Amino acid sequence: MAGLSFDNYRRNKSLEASGVLPPKTTSTGTTIVGCKFNGGVILSADTRATAGMVVADKNCLKLHRLAPNIWCAGAGTASDNDKVTELESSQLEIHSQWTGRAPRVVTALTHLKQHLFKYQGHVGAYLIIAGVDVTGSHLFSLHAHGSTDVGPYLALGSGSMAALSVLESKWKEDLTKEEAMELCSEAIMAGVFNDLASGSNVDLCVIEKGKPSRLHRGYKQPNQRLQKQRNYNFDIGTTSYFEAGSEVFYISKQSDLETSAMEVDQVS
Amino acid sequence: MFLTRSEYDRGVSTFSPEGRLFQVEYSLEAIKLGSTAVGIKTKDGVILGVEKRANSKLMESGSINKIEEIEKHIGCAFSGLTADARMMIDHARVEATNHAFNYDEPTSVETLTQSVCDLALRFGESGEGQERVMSRPFGVALLIAGYDERLGPQLYHTEPTGTFYMYDAKAIGSGSEGAQAELQQKYYSNMTMAEAEILLLKVLKQVMEEKLEAKNVQLAKVTKEGFQLYTTEELEKLVADLPADVDQDELAELS
Amino acid sequence: MSRFNPYGDSSGGSSLAIAGADFAILAGDTRHSTGFSIDSRDQSQIADLGDGLFLTSNGFSADAKQLVDDLRTQIKWYHHNNNDHKLSISAAARTTMMLLYGKRFFPYYVNPIMIGMADDGTGAVYSFDPLGSYDREPSRAAGHASELLMPFLDNQVTFANQLDPQTGEPRKRLDLDLQTAVDLVKDAFTGAAERQVQVGDTLEIVILTKDGVDRQYYDLRRD
Repeated sequence: MAGLSFDNYRRNKSLEASGVLPPKTTSTGTTIVGCKFNGGVILSADTRATAGMVVADKNCLKLHRLAPNIWCAGAGTASDNDKVTELESSQLEIHSQWTGRAPRVVTALTHLKQHLFKYQGHVGAYLIIAGVDVTGSHLFSLHAHGSTDVGPYLALGSGSMAALSVLESKWKEDLTKEEAMELCSEAIMAGVFNDLASGSNVDLCVIEKGKPSRLHRGYKQPNQRLQKQRNYNFDIGTTSYFEAGSEVFYISKQSDLETSAMEVDQVS
Repeated sequence: MFLTRSEYDRGVSTFSPEGRLFQVEYSLEAIKLGSTAVGIKTKDGVILGVEKRANSKLMESGSINKIEEIEKHIGCAFSGLTADARMMIDHARVEATNHAFNYDEPTSVETLTQSVCDLALRFGESGEGQERVMSRPFGVALLIAGYDERLGPQLYHTEPTGTFYMYDAKAIGSGSEGAQAELQQKYYSNMTMAEAEILLLKVLKQVMEEKLEAKNVQLAKVTKEGFQLYTTEELEKLVADLPADVDQDELAELS
Repeated sequence: MSRFNPYGDSSGGSSLAIAGADFAILAGDTRHSTGFSIDSRDQSQIADLGDGLFLTSNGFSADAKQLVDDLRTQIKWYHHNNNDHKLSISAAARTTMMLLYGKRFFPYYVNPIMIGMADDGTGAVYSFDPLGSYDREPSRAAGHASELLMPFLDNQVTFANQLDPQTGEPRKRLDLDLQTAVDLVKDAFTGAAERQVQVGDTLEIVILTKDGVDRQYYDLRRD
């Protein structure tokens, strides 16, 4: 990243003063948790992304891989999370190639907090960072202004209070992996059902010492779309038009046309 | 000494020891001085008729008005003090308009009659927060005729006491006693409007001192189509076609 | 420094109504929320006013409750003054307008929808703005998800901007049968619950026909 452009800063400030509202950013207004167990650490997140009170993405991935042994879960502004974790994973990759060692979790944490502090909270990434390295397994949280926390279990995002209520009442020392997975998903579900900004499914990532990290995408799916009562297909000719015409496009490669089928209503 | 009538007939809001309100009772007497008004209900509508008593030959009979429209579907004939009737009719028109404004529907005839009667006891000394409208009871009785979706044609009689009753046929005013007796005899429930017109004119003719003419009666009807006053031409025709007195028995036979 | 705001977005979800030739439907979800918190998952927002009239008022729920109380009082007085005559839906709609416009400069923050059977036996839907502007309509949605529900109703109830492929003429609005209308209501709400975070938990449907009232309940997603 060559740096962020502040070209329109003054323009946007004056627009705001005259009553033009800034555009809604996609927020992962979220529930994310992390929890250590006796063989490693677990990260878990819901999958709802919102723009105001509207669901922008019903199944977005909020668990980001920083390195094979270090993952993070992001709450806050979706684009900041995407970019900051993408940037960090590149930096860590370069770092580990340069040093010839697997990166440490504190390295990622320190580097990220320096980046976020520099932007004084304007980069809206709220992260839970987890991983295993040569020094053991680690679990940290990082706020957009640059502050960090350490703990055996952590929760962040708008659903963190709901999640924390589960973690505080059910967490105990020396959890097994299975117990920790169950605890994390239960904590996320508390956010999913009780915080309107969190919803849909539970994603979960297990990071264990000496084992490849395992991402369980859609670990729990408690909110499946209900079957529609009717079909909503329109007969050809339903839409009126002023003029019909066609234009020929020349395609240099046939492979350009190969796209995945769109998800549409089944014709009965 | 307190049992004499005169001790208790001055204050409008003072009961006599026998429990009577003399001023209200006297107001009923005022009605008996009024010209006769008759109302007859049929299944298709209600007819109202009044005698127009001209005090002088020089008086323009067209200027006497004893039947008024209250709303499109409600009309009213009255006997007694005309000015009092005007006040009640004004009130009724306001109430009818307010109902239409508030509920987007014509007021029912009964509701309208009730609201007129609500006005009847607003005399005497004013209570806390209540406006005193008059110093004495009304001296007028009304025959309210109307047509609504719920009950069809209706005829109500209101008195200065504030009570009202529904009637099939009713006469008020100076000739009311004879007229009511006549109605009692001749009215029958499946009467047509045309038959009711004849009966009404006959009854009026019987109790009127003057000879019945188009210019000394006023007629109106309220049907599904609404309130309508009879024109002079219609009245002239009706009076001209009115069967002679000898046909009286014939009419009785019909019932 | 944020101050207490009595007109918070404390709200009783979304609602929707469809009028048919011989029925009327009023539906709403039972979720009640403030901000991102759920206050209740089981708060009915369909008020039975009596006289075969049902009302939802989306918006500020304290005002909505007050409006229902006002209307019930008005209806009671109408009965007293009119020999227990039933208040017709058109008269009830006018009454609602009078109540709302009566507070022109201190309005209730609500968007009411009222259903009932009209005098001619057809189903009637009346909708209002907060100041009392009102109209009888074939269908109407209100509340947080109204932007999602209303275009769906325009499309499926009134067939707005659609052509009949056979004739090329604008597609004619059919008299919906009851089952189709109920199915549309369910699909509208399951769809809205997918994309609007304040919609969810339970769908409550009141179906009005000449035979009486039927209340039905269906599960919505709870996240």
